[in-house]
Amino acid sequence: MSALGEALRKSAVINLSGAVTMVVDDSPFALELTTQSLMGFGIRPRHTCLGAAEAMDILKEQNVDLLLVDCDMPGIDGFELVRWLRRSGLDPNAFVPVIMTAAHIRRPRVAEARDCGASFIITKPFSATILLERIVWVARDSRPFLEIGDYFGPDRRFRTTPSPPEERRADLIRKREFEAAKDAASTEGETV
Amino acid sequence: MTVITHPRRKSNLATMIDSAGGVSVGVALAQARANIEAMRGQALAVIESGISALEAVPAPSAREETPARLDQAYRAATTLIDAAGPFELFDLCRAAAGLCDLIGAIDPEQPFDWRIVTVHARSLRLLQTLPPEATEERARVLDSLRQVIERKLAQTG
Repeated sequence: MSALGEALRKSAVINLSGAVTMVVDDSPFALELTTQSLMGFGIRPRHTCLGAAEAMDILKEQNVDLLLVDCDMPGIDGFELVRWLRRSGLDPNAFVPVIMTAAHIRRPRVAEARDCGASFIITKPFSATILLERIVWVARDSRPFLEIGDYFGPDRRFRTTPSPPEERRADLIRKREFEAAKDAASTEGETV
Repeated sequence: MTVITHPRRKSNLATMIDSAGGVSVGVALAQARANIEAMRGQALAVIESGISALEAVPAPSAREETPARLDQAYRAATTLIDAAGPFELFDLCRAAAGLCDLIGAIDPEQPFDWRIVTVHARSLRLLQTLPPEATEERARVLDSLRQVIERKLAQTG
């Protein structure tokens, strides 16, 4: 996934200020940490929940644009919450980009992590760079949603050579590169 | 097996990310890192209470107590990863993750050598108190923990 990092250039401009975002984590510290990171990106989380039950109640009533969920929570855990959401029939929430975070995933739960329908799972140590990369990635994610047996979520077959996501100013960058190449070619011609 | 494909609709997030305004990635990351750094004191307090919680988990006195005790130890260790990771306290993360790997891989119904939890709690305490420049000592602590985990994981298959 190194291509993700390479695609996220410092000069690229993103606007996430209007994103209705929900963060769900049973740890008040982790919840605050995620919230502070998002605020740095220009996102002010609309809903912060310490449990899945509270999140479900909100998701039934209000649309969100981005959901960040901790995997390991007491009671209804993150996997169950995402599985419920994908199967809820709530439109558009059932199709919302979901990023899950995990300090650790127990070996018997790896299949659940794969099958719950999340768009991406971030395993900690947590860093602002990784979180932003994944947010930009899920925003540009064009995978269709599949229903196969119990599974409902994004197509899990990743392309081995992902095409880099287009930046807002990609056309300008291409134009600049083209002109630089043209100038270089003409200079070379003059020298000869 | 039947496969139903729902063509992907452009999400609100996809539309807004390229809309006018916003910030550069460099600025967004700098702001986020500054916000995270402001939480360092809080993180250190969480780490301290996580290590104390791990030290305080009593060894199970009966086999039926083992799953609950292991769960307590696992949660204390994940709390440490949550708090230490963003501040690049990777030694603490590595030690705590090793314990999580082991607890996550074993059958909690089977007997468990509780000394492993005790050793991890002591090692985490040591890593927390060692000065940052004590790289050799830190490496030795982590290496012995790694050997313990590898041996036990090999036994669990």
